[in-house]
Amino acid sequence: MPRNKCMSAEEAISQFVSDGDITYIGYNNLPQALCHEIIRQQKKNLTLVGASVQELAAPLYITGCATRTLTGYIGGAVGGTLVTELMDTGQLQFEDYSNQALTMMFLAGALGIPFIPTLVFLGTDFLSEKCINHPGGWLKEQKYKVSQCPFTGEQVVLLPALKPDVALMAAQRADEEGNIQVWGPLGDSKWALWAAKKVIVSVEEIVPTEVIRSDPNRTIVPSFKVSAVIHEPFGAHPWPMTGYYDIDLGFRAGAVNLYSDIEAFRKFIDEWVYGVKNRREYLEHYVDRFGYGALQAIMAKPPIQPTGTISYGYVPHLSV
Amino acid sequence: MVSKSYADDYTLAELMCIAAARELRDGENIFMGLGLPCLAAPIAKMLYVPNAQLFTEVGVFDWVPTDPTVMGRGPMHIFDLPLNVGSAMLGDMLDQLGAMMMGGHVDTAFLGGAQIDKFGNLNTICLGDYHHPTRRLGGVGGNTDAACLAKKVIIILPHERRRFVERVDFVTSPGYIDGPGSRRRHGLQPQGPNVVISTLGVLRFDTQDGDSGTCEMYLDATFPNVSAATVKEMTSWDLQVSNALKQVEPPSVEEVILLRSLDPLMFHLREGRY
Repeated sequence: MPRNKCMSAEEAISQFVSDGDITYIGYNNLPQALCHEIIRQQKKNLTLVGASVQELAAPLYITGCATRTLTGYIGGAVGGTLVTELMDTGQLQFEDYSNQALTMMFLAGALGIPFIPTLVFLGTDFLSEKCINHPGGWLKEQKYKVSQCPFTGEQVVLLPALKPDVALMAAQRADEEGNIQVWGPLGDSKWALWAAKKVIVSVEEIVPTEVIRSDPNRTIVPSFKVSAVIHEPFGAHPWPMTGYYDIDLGFRAGAVNLYSDIEAFRKFIDEWVYGVKNRREYLEHYVDRFGYGALQAIMAKPPIQPTGTISYGYVPHLSV
Repeated sequence: MVSKSYADDYTLAELMCIAAARELRDGENIFMGLGLPCLAAPIAKMLYVPNAQLFTEVGVFDWVPTDPTVMGRGPMHIFDLPLNVGSAMLGDMLDQLGAMMMGGHVDTAFLGGAQIDKFGNLNTICLGDYHHPTRRLGGVGGNTDAACLAKKVIIILPHERRRFVERVDFVTSPGYIDGPGSRRRHGLQPQGPNVVISTLGVLRFDTQDGDSGTCEMYLDATFPNVSAATVKEMTSWDLQVSNALKQVEPPSVEEVILLRSLDPLMFHLREGRY
């Protein structure tokens, strides 16, 4: 019997995320519920990595759970002054790359090769001494190197392989064994998951393995790569999940200044993270506060399904 | 000549969007960056360049916008869910920024930026010194990737003196770097940015190929009610003005109606957004 990897977010984060871990938290398909659990368990000194580390990283920085980031885009997290202050004072160390660079670094990690060449960064100040040895970072000469192709002599930039200790993601569905299925564009997730030592995925639905195996093209990593599957409906809320729910603009509108005003931030975190034990309580609280109609309003409707059919058919009894 | 009825209540963002949409060429592979490109590219596809193919870094290939009355809204950003419907392929970032972009298949990248200089170099990482910035920005995302690797680049940004500078504080995304031939010397394809749509008008670059000409940005057309003197005043270097300075044609009623059907909340299009 294959191992059943279903567990609670509390168990998964406790068991598979350690202080100091290099942690992938998605580009899209954002694992918001899992990130809230990290805050509840007060993990320390995480390094957040990903092509673009989205806004859900900001609370991890501000609460001190994460103290480093290596990414192409700090994006939403620097929309407010709380995070830029952490960068100014050295409490949040950062290494700036680009989306392609991070994806390539995950690819190298996944392939088990030590580095990978790219043409990105040529002609930019990223290659300057000033950027490589900047006081906010820690990689210094290990960040990247300009080199020549040994065959053609062309200029290239060499990027080191990146292997996250743990990758977190929200996905549509999985079976109990941990075969993860995702649809919609994949961002950098596939290579980050392959490169990671441990993978934790929250899913909207757990389905029988027969369902997964009837459409195997949709699986992005096989079960042996996956440590834990968490059945967590609305696990990406307030961010979208293709086919399930859209971005919750109403909820977001109530969260202005969250990353500029420490009091507003604390109030939000007390209410939506510390004030609930898990995502189920979060959803109950949401419905208490805003009514079930607010949740219904972001649910995907009507379903948009493929037209036509595909077949994985073959000839079971070939004759010679 | 077909007579056109111009809209009289368009916003600045709508004018910029339409000016940008008119720059796209049919049959090209177009990479959409954050913000207005997510509206300008589908508008262009629906009205002017039906054979252009639209892409975003997250993995969207050849998105065909469906009827806005069915779609409800266009994409608000590069991984917004409406992009998942009507695409020819949903892949990942390696497909997109690797095979597509670095493989040399992107004709035009459509980007934003925070600061630009006379050679079209962009900065999206910080204002001021990188070590002690006056303002830290979000970073580059796919902006650097596209500026390094796309054959042509269209840039949209607000026209202010602190943004249109002699030299950007940090070259995150190379334009013509230090002038003619620079891109080639740095190992990049020679052609860089070709158009800038600002909040005051349309600017182009004095080069056909990245090697000839001065490679400097010049003012080609102003928006209605904007003078060349104003544009020069809002630019930190001595901006050259085309001898055949034009005025940007205002958006038509049809264009504005279609644009608003893609952004019914006026998320990007509202007055004061730029």
